[in-house]
Amino acid sequence: MSSHMTTIDTSSWPFDTVLVANRGEIAARILRTIKALGLKGAVVYHSADRKTPALAIADQAVEITGETPVAAYLDAAQILAAARQVGAGAIHPGYGFLSENADFCRAVTDAGIAFVGPTPEQIELMGDKVRARAFVEKAGFPVAPSAIEDDDPATFLERARALPLPLLIKPAAGGGGKGMRVVREADQLESEIERARSEGQRYFGDGRLYVEKFIENPRHIEVQVLGDAHGNVVHLFERECSVQRRFQKIVEETPSPALDEKLRNEICETAAGIARSAGYRNAGTVEFIFGESGGEAEFYFLETNTRLQVEHPVTEEITGKDLVAEQLRIAAGEKLGYEQQDITASGHAIEFRIYAEDAAAGFTPTTGPVLRWKVPTGEGIRMDDGIVEGGAVTAAFDPMLAKLVIRGADREEARARADAALRDLALLGCKTNTAFLRRLLNHPAFIAGDVHTGFLDANPDIAAEPELSEATLHKLLATAALTNRPMRDNADLTPDLHAAIGHWNN
Amino acid sequence: MQHGFKLLDAEHDIGLSRAREGYRLHLNQGDERIEIPVSLIQGEEGDWVLNVNGEVDHISLALDGDDVFIHLDGEVYQLTFEHALQRLAEMSAGAAADNVKATMPGSLVSVAVAEGDHVKTGQTLLVMESMKMETTIVSPRDGVVQSIQFTPGQTFDKDAVLITLEPEAEE
Repeated sequence: MSSHMTTIDTSSWPFDTVLVANRGEIAARILRTIKALGLKGAVVYHSADRKTPALAIADQAVEITGETPVAAYLDAAQILAAARQVGAGAIHPGYGFLSENADFCRAVTDAGIAFVGPTPEQIELMGDKVRARAFVEKAGFPVAPSAIEDDDPATFLERARALPLPLLIKPAAGGGGKGMRVVREADQLESEIERARSEGQRYFGDGRLYVEKFIENPRHIEVQVLGDAHGNVVHLFERECSVQRRFQKIVEETPSPALDEKLRNEICETAAGIARSAGYRNAGTVEFIFGESGGEAEFYFLETNTRLQVEHPVTEEITGKDLVAEQLRIAAGEKLGYEQQDITASGHAIEFRIYAEDAAAGFTPTTGPVLRWKVPTGEGIRMDDGIVEGGAVTAAFDPMLAKLVIRGADREEARARADAALRDLALLGCKTNTAFLRRLLNHPAFIAGDVHTGFLDANPDIAAEPELSEATLHKLLATAALTNRPMRDNADLTPDLHAAIGHWNN
Repeated sequence: MQHGFKLLDAEHDIGLSRAREGYRLHLNQGDERIEIPVSLIQGEEGDWVLNVNGEVDHISLALDGDDVFIHLDGEVYQLTFEHALQRLAEMSAGAAADNVKATMPGSLVSVAVAEGDHVKTGQTLLVMESMKMETTIVSPRDGVVQSIQFTPGQTFDKDAVLITLEPEAEE
């Protein structure tokens, strides 16, 4: 990727300073590209994030405040003020927070600052699941059978009842799996709709819903697209993101083990076609639900994410394209400058999300100090992380700490490298999911590439804490005793003679 | 001298004594008390070389108060040193039911009661959010709300005391 960077000339760009309105690993990752392009990088931060990598990389950092740390990162006015303060000509929103907020996008643009993302109108269209779906259907692309409340609220329940079970209820303004509910029994539909509505209202301030055909054991396959302001759109192949817990992705890879060349081409061209229909500008992702019925593969449009995705690095690893650099070029008004056939992929890449959570306890979040953060190194290993030793993992933010991205000549090589890397990776002070991820990537179904979004629920043994062997227990207790000051002092006070006699106790 | 360590919710009584070379770990195996030769020496870059009964492992470790974190063979374990006095106190603890604790880290969504309120067993005290899901915390017994430690929007760690009930009057 670095060789590609040197060919990008930023001297004619309308901005030389970019403000990153995000935190954690993604703020650090975006800032690295900004700096590699020879631009100045600035970042906003809440005091809880003072000890994070992004602040060390940024040329300037502006503190923002809020009732909660998350609220600070959602405060558009403070972020705009910070942009003016550092003289930023562009704002990169990262993912989450304000990245898909049309009002923020508009406010940034109105302030004469380039928003590194789509237009506000595109966020409004593609960011709204219901509108996006209607648009995609009208443009002639495949969508799943569904009932949309907005079409006619009075008949919503009736129309939902007419769909074949099982069904999936989703908030119209949703994301990240929040408020989604599966309904398998007809008599539960009404109460589940009410529950989904109250969750949607609470999380998104919007209780509108839609219900669609739920595909059993579906795969989640998405396609990376890039569009410039001049109407050029390309795709950068697919990512398979089927390994999920609570509808959130844990492991993503490319290419998808589920697709042959024909299907890959079909799904990627569909995604590019959807983006082209919308005149899409920016890096974006078109998500599909992929399943099989009667031996036939089927895929339906799910939603579009009008931002950089968490899992974008796997695409970068196989295509050699720096997606953040491409986003910045597009925001600067440049043309893509390449055609679909110029984009090639080689090898296989897998991303593992490192979460502060206890897999065996239902993936509940964990907190603690970052006493030691051991990052693996070696061929094909890329680590995008957002924590440093001396910092802490708190309940204030999302529990995703880092992303381990592994590249190999093929899937098997990537998997073997990942196993070794995950063995070396360690956070001391706060429990993470690394041991769980190793069990997962060594599971026969994962090895075979045979996964679906319900895979972890169907295989709870992967998340379960393995039985501690006696040998391991002895090693742990020995270490605990030997590093414990009172125990060691006590032992050292005892004359060797006594110890040598043996059978000494207490 | 016996010492206790907690590992994965289990307690282990162990002792340590000096051997001619290194140390001896005293621990229970079934009904038996056994001894194992052990040693731990500093290796490179903050890592350690552990020898237990002749078996050598390269480990990483970090200490934080009474906690020791150990990275051994791809897994990280946490052991907590149990002070003798604290163990005694916990055994005779009657105060536990006065404190309503967070079962996981999260943030407070809403509080359904006020200080001084009389509450019944099972009555909703507050709603917390963790993992993007809401959990209702109910009263473990009949009583009076003495204090509420957090306000909506605030975050807390696992086991944080959320609400304290007034101690029950002695019968």
